[in-house]
Amino acid sequence: MFDLLEPFFFAVLALGVIGSGVCVVVLRRITAQALLMALTFASMAGMFLLLGAETIALFQVLIYVGAITILILFGVMFTKQDERGYGLFFQQQTPWAAALVIVIALPVSFLAFSFKDPLTPSAKGGDLIPLAASLFTDYAFPFEIASVLLLAALVGAIVLVKRDEG
Amino acid sequence: MPIGPFGIDPVIWAVLRLVIAVALAVFLVLNGALAQIFLERKIQAVMQDRLGPYHTGPFGLLQTFADAIKLLSKEDIRARLTDAPFFLAAPAIVFSPMLASFVVLPFAPDFVGANLNVGLLYLTTLGSMTVLGIVIAGWASNNKYSLMGGLRSAGQLISYEVPQILALVTVVLYVGSLSMVDITKSQPGLLVNVVILPMAFLTYLIAALAETNRNPFDLPEAESELVAGFLTEYSGMRWAVFFLSEYGEVTVVSAIMATLWFGGWHGPGVDAVPALGILWFTLKTYGFVVLFMWIRATLPRLRIDQLMGFCWKVLIPLALVNIMASAAIILAFADPRLPLAVVNWLLVAGLVVGLPFTQRRRLLRFRSRTRETVAMRDVRLAP
Repeated sequence: MFDLLEPFFFAVLALGVIGSGVCVVVLRRITAQALLMALTFASMAGMFLLLGAETIALFQVLIYVGAITILILFGVMFTKQDERGYGLFFQQQTPWAAALVIVIALPVSFLAFSFKDPLTPSAKGGDLIPLAASLFTDYAFPFEIASVLLLAALVGAIVLVKRDEG
Repeated sequence: MPIGPFGIDPVIWAVLRLVIAVALAVFLVLNGALAQIFLERKIQAVMQDRLGPYHTGPFGLLQTFADAIKLLSKEDIRARLTDAPFFLAAPAIVFSPMLASFVVLPFAPDFVGANLNVGLLYLTTLGSMTVLGIVIAGWASNNKYSLMGGLRSAGQLISYEVPQILALVTVVLYVGSLSMVDITKSQPGLLVNVVILPMAFLTYLIAALAETNRNPFDLPEAESELVAGFLTEYSGMRWAVFFLSEYGEVTVVSAIMATLWFGGWHGPGVDAVPALGILWFTLKTYGFVVLFMWIRATLPRLRIDQLMGFCWKVLIPLALVNIMASAAIILAFADPRLPLAVVNWLLVAGLVVGLPFTQRRRLLRFRSRTRETVAMRDVRLAP
């Protein structure tokens, strides 16, 4: 009976990811798009939870739902809300987009189905300690590069918005 | 057929457990809010030399119940030009993360909803989700005051999240665990974390005041400037849900402070009777709730630039210095308690003594600039 629960939650979450993802692309209301994107992120966090990666799931929610969606909503609030009579450049490319999706989706799904026996998530202790250990030993250099990049972006943002005084 | 606890089928028990947990959390939140509103009214009344509620019930105890019934039975009003789905969703988006936070609070030994090994991260994550609801509420209300409130709260809450998390990092470095239960267990005696890490506590306290939109940081709902901020268009039960979440969040951050710095459920007699832990935990938590009310009755509201300046120029640098110093000390000493305490108390002294000086200098500069402007205007206006 418990074996049925995991596929059930997976189905709900997959529906959340794909359904709201499609809505983000198809809908024309920008606030709804922003919120549905938050739902996509949250469903992804649920997927991570199902895989036994609760730390990554929590960071996913903290950063994507908590911070990035807010940033997007901030942008939306400063955008005009009237109906657009014209499609943007990227919204007129439906056949090309469909072709591109198929080209990318085929190898990805092939890869996904080639997994035979996925690693069973560690039962006790969670993913916190393995994650931290690999982040600060094997992947310390990429981690540092990412943080320097973010720091540069931060400084750049401050320079851009700083008013010239005097 | 396997038999679970209390002779119930495990599948049914799993669902039942969920229902019981949610019901318990809702019960705690609703009653906590009722108690807190009553406490707030009485404490503010005492501080302002008034009587507070006293007509309804003994000592006015039933006043909050009467208010709750009034709010429940109010007409459900929604302005025509509001953005319906978002307007209706916003209170739920604010309320549900707060409710979910109660899962990891350690009330007593073996009386925890879930002993997550990332409990503290979980609480932080849920705390960051409220901003979303407030921003949506402000936007969907289609009202300038609401929008201003929502934008202010987005800026304020995102900024103060940074020192809040940095303050938690110091404690996690010292204790070496993110689990709320482990953090409680690490401070059994009188030597609770606040003695060793007072700077982290002070940073968290200030940031928590801002995160829960309490005075002196209640800019998103500043009555004198913004009518009621993001709450302007809300009334009846939806408005009440926002306030329930606010009180619930105050309880959650108070519980975090009680657990991380004041030993959580530890107190006299807990080893013999574990259920006493609930009493100590509740007392410590409500101590902070009362402290929040005290601060609200005492301090005036800050201006938005003061608020942001204080966060980015004072709190975050101090918290970063604290983290770096603490990490170095914990690596360097086998027993890091004394050096940690020295550094932390020095930082607290620096903040408490240094802040008036820097503020005085800023004030003087501001005054001289104002004087120049006035002088220039007088010259221009002179005949």
